[in-house]
Amino acid sequence: MAGGMDLGNGGKGGKKPLDMAVNLVPFIDLMAVTISFLIMTAVWTQIGRLQVSQGGGPSTEETPPEQTKTVQLTLAVTPEQLVLTADQAAFDPIPVVRDAKGKLDLAKLAERLKEIKEKFPDQSAITLQTDDKVRYDVLVRIIDECLGNQLPQVSVMAAG
Amino acid sequence: MAIKVPGKRYGKRLEHSKVFGHGGHGKKNTFADLLITPLVDMFVIIVLFLIANFSATGEVLMMTKDIQLPEAVNVKEVEMHPVVMVSNDQVSISGTIVGRTEDLVKDEYLNIPALEEKLRDMKKQFEDLHSMAGGEDNAFKGDVNIQAHKEVEFKIIKRVMFSCATAGYNNINFAVLTKGGSDSPGPASAEAAPQ
Repeated sequence: MAGGMDLGNGGKGGKKPLDMAVNLVPFIDLMAVTISFLIMTAVWTQIGRLQVSQGGGPSTEETPPEQTKTVQLTLAVTPEQLVLTADQAAFDPIPVVRDAKGKLDLAKLAERLKEIKEKFPDQSAITLQTDDKVRYDVLVRIIDECLGNQLPQVSVMAAG
Repeated sequence: MAIKVPGKRYGKRLEHSKVFGHGGHGKKNTFADLLITPLVDMFVIIVLFLIANFSATGEVLMMTKDIQLPEAVNVKEVEMHPVVMVSNDQVSISGTIVGRTEDLVKDEYLNIPALEEKLRDMKKQFEDLHSMAGGEDNAFKGDVNIQAHKEVEFKIIKRVMFSCATAGYNNINFAVLTKGGSDSPGPASAEAAPQ
């Protein structure tokens, strides 16, 4: 017997037994240690980031070619409503509403951003003029919505 | 010849029968084999699951009860940079409290002097450490993570952002909880200008 494996009697003439058992104890030990290590070092909360750069500073994105047709897109964010402006034309205000779970409903904003994106496929910049009273989670949700609608260059500035 | 007690005597075929023989009264076998195979299978599955979820970057941000992060979908992976923590009560950086939220709301100034000073120190420290190494990879890029509570008002965030920009940290990253269900659209940036 060597390491749990039955090697028979070793005789030249004797028949070797065909049934042999692999010793699983070290394997189970290894598994137990690996599981303990992985559980201890596991990161259970997945954290991401929304990149922001100060106005006037170098942007991480390449500037689009000048020939592209774009508009000056501005979204005024207040605790009560969102007002989208493309150049000088202002759209109807979108009231800030929450669903039963308290989640911000931005379906209308997404719809309008899609319309603008269809009209101006090269549009990639949007400016958020944020009121002082706006909560951080609302701002993050709006930035996230803009990024999700292929507007990667989001500028955040204070209103007024 | 031994004397046999009179009674029922069944044939050999029925000797082990539970009804006629001694099958019901016999001793049970005390050896029970533990099945290792399902145990090993389970271990393998757990190890694979944990390896799949393993994060090599570790925990960059320290999660506290005071700060509940908002959720977002279109995010990038968080990196190791100085972290400014903004809770409902205080603003701190690297464990040092630089201002109370209550006071910061009342003030009309745009920056937070203590935060600015601390960030300048950190920038100088970074540059001193990396000046010897040289190379473009070690250049100061001005990245900072803002870990803010989801109910904090933009007025505080604005002051923090302005202080970061004044201290030379122009690339601000808002820390958020990654919400599943959508794929990331690739690199994205947001520009901020407090006025």
